[in-house]
Amino acid sequence: MTETATRPRSAQRTSLWGWLLALPTAWMVAFFVSSMVIIVLLSFGRTTNDGYPAFATSTANYRAIWNEVYLELFLRSLAYAVATVVISALIAYPVAYVIALHGGRYKNALIAAIVVPFFASYLVRMYAWKALLSDDGLVNSALRHSGLSDGITFLNTPQAVIGGLVYGFVVFMILPIYASLERLDTSVIEAGKDLYHGPVRTFFSVTLPATRAGLYGGALLVFLPALGDFVSAQLLGGASTYMMGNLVQQQFAEGQNWPLGSALTVGMMAALTVLMVVYLRATSTRAQES
Amino acid sequence: MIRRPGLELPRPSRRGLLTGGLALGASLGASLTLPGCAYIRDDVPIDKPLPPSAKAEIDGDLVYFNWADYLAPSVVKGFQREYGVKVIESNYDSMEGMYAKLAAGNQYDIVFPIAKWVVKLRQEGKLRSIDPAELENADQVFYSGSYFNDPWYDPGSKVSVPFTVYKTGIGWRTDKVSTMTNSWKDLWNDEARGRIFTLDDQDEALAMAALLLDYDVNTAKRSELDDIKDLLISQKEYLRAYSSDDVNNMTSGDAWIHHMWSGDFLYLREGLVDDPTKFDFQAPSEGVPINSDAYAIPTNARHPGTAMVFIDYLLRPENAVKNMNYLYYPFPVKDALPAFADLAKDVPACNVEISDLENENVFRLLGTDEVQRRAAVWTEVKAS
Repeated sequence: MTETATRPRSAQRTSLWGWLLALPTAWMVAFFVSSMVIIVLLSFGRTTNDGYPAFATSTANYRAIWNEVYLELFLRSLAYAVATVVISALIAYPVAYVIALHGGRYKNALIAAIVVPFFASYLVRMYAWKALLSDDGLVNSALRHSGLSDGITFLNTPQAVIGGLVYGFVVFMILPIYASLERLDTSVIEAGKDLYHGPVRTFFSVTLPATRAGLYGGALLVFLPALGDFVSAQLLGGASTYMMGNLVQQQFAEGQNWPLGSALTVGMMAALTVLMVVYLRATSTRAQES
Repeated sequence: MIRRPGLELPRPSRRGLLTGGLALGASLGASLTLPGCAYIRDDVPIDKPLPPSAKAEIDGDLVYFNWADYLAPSVVKGFQREYGVKVIESNYDSMEGMYAKLAAGNQYDIVFPIAKWVVKLRQEGKLRSIDPAELENADQVFYSGSYFNDPWYDPGSKVSVPFTVYKTGIGWRTDKVSTMTNSWKDLWNDEARGRIFTLDDQDEALAMAALLLDYDVNTAKRSELDDIKDLLISQKEYLRAYSSDDVNNMTSGDAWIHHMWSGDFLYLREGLVDDPTKFDFQAPSEGVPINSDAYAIPTNARHPGTAMVFIDYLLRPENAVKNMNYLYYPFPVKDALPAFADLAKDVPACNVEISDLENENVFRLLGTDEVQRRAAVWTEVKAS
């Protein structure tokens, strides 16, 4: 679940920049790399009789994760995360488009209106969804009063989990798309229209390709936290919507099995790294083509 | 076992879980703050001589460490007024979180462990003795013939004083379901298919299935665990979800039948809903898990004297009654029991008789391999 950022290195690096980099590098090594190292080491560990995790050289945890139940969970989590990315993109693009190209002097206020609610804890917002969507909640009460429906079971379904993930992470899709639309030279859209494209064709052959980078970046930023999330599945999910995040979290809590949790984390990181490499290759070639 | 955080909608359920999220994050964070030595130390020594009891004399403000909202605020305020000390409160959201903070060396004057954690803390020498002779109201819990003179989790009652007792059963909506049979099998009820919840709690879920199969609630035998796994998987088509947010699932209409804790049910029925007659509770005939919480004083407490005075104060029957009316869990305080029976008079199944504790259905402290075997079964059930 790492953000494997691929930052373009600035060609010129003066020694001042080098020094400025030292502090964040030290920070990352101390708190990020070291915790990763502990997780990797612990994945070969064991649990002592009194329940403490201990370092060891056992591969038992890796053999244990080779379990078809876990594979099924991984595929389920993958499907939820992909659905989250697609839905987030469908929501985020129009929102970012309207703000960037038609927001005028309200642009910053509109972006703030999107970002500020995300300062509230994700968990609190999830509880709010529970209150809204429960069988006797506000939405169902309104439906019943209006005679539109006898009530819809929203909660504890896969759709609810995906909905929670979209709601939780869509802002990470809106911001990069907004940034790339902001930078877009609107004269290319006018050029498209001048060349007798309709608005739809202009959008698909000019605007969308020009803002690909934002979309690709957003997809990554939504996909990674969605895949590792456990809150949505725990609060909005049902009996069969368990995700990888829940599985890992359970090993660290009730399961009293940090080494297994660590091995699952490492296994998931490995699988994600492969997926990321494939994704980055594909998207960078595409970006070069355009 | 974990309780829900204070951010609850109506008012927090007492024993409902804070289902994950913030709370779990926080407790994980807490456990991650374990000092480095925690990784390398192996099996700790067992049964060192117990640290001596403190005298019940005020020796400073009380540093209090409990579940959020787990004592009546009026009682805590009364203590501060009467003794002129402050109560400095911090909260934990899971026993693991509480244990991690103690293990990391944080100093608290009083903690409220669940029975099996008393076993663990006592074994590791983390609790001070509590001499009942220091407590004026000790006879309220340690009278002749009392179960708590020698409870299973604290032989001789050396380091703990009983706080609450509770059982796990089934709550249901009488206006929606008419075919309850006073059995755990009711969690497979056809009428309520898709609106049944099982507690998202490893011990409770496995215990429920174990009781149906007539196994020990703490079983870690492979063959028995396999049977339990199959039984629990067969339940999934009836389930809406695994959740310990029992009070809210019932009030929101999402649950028609809920595997739940007795005190949560009583709180829901007597303290929360408009029409209590729509809700009922049963303690299935196959037997139910009965468990208890205790007061305890950590060895490194800075003000153990104040903690002793505080425990004594909580044992006063009038304070126990106030707490029961707030928590809806019975306190095994002799002169307060009639008041609880009165509180639970419409749902006697919520009452916990002290004699109930003598059954074998308590959650014991298990070995790591046993916990992990049980966890693997629970994981497979939830993941399948």
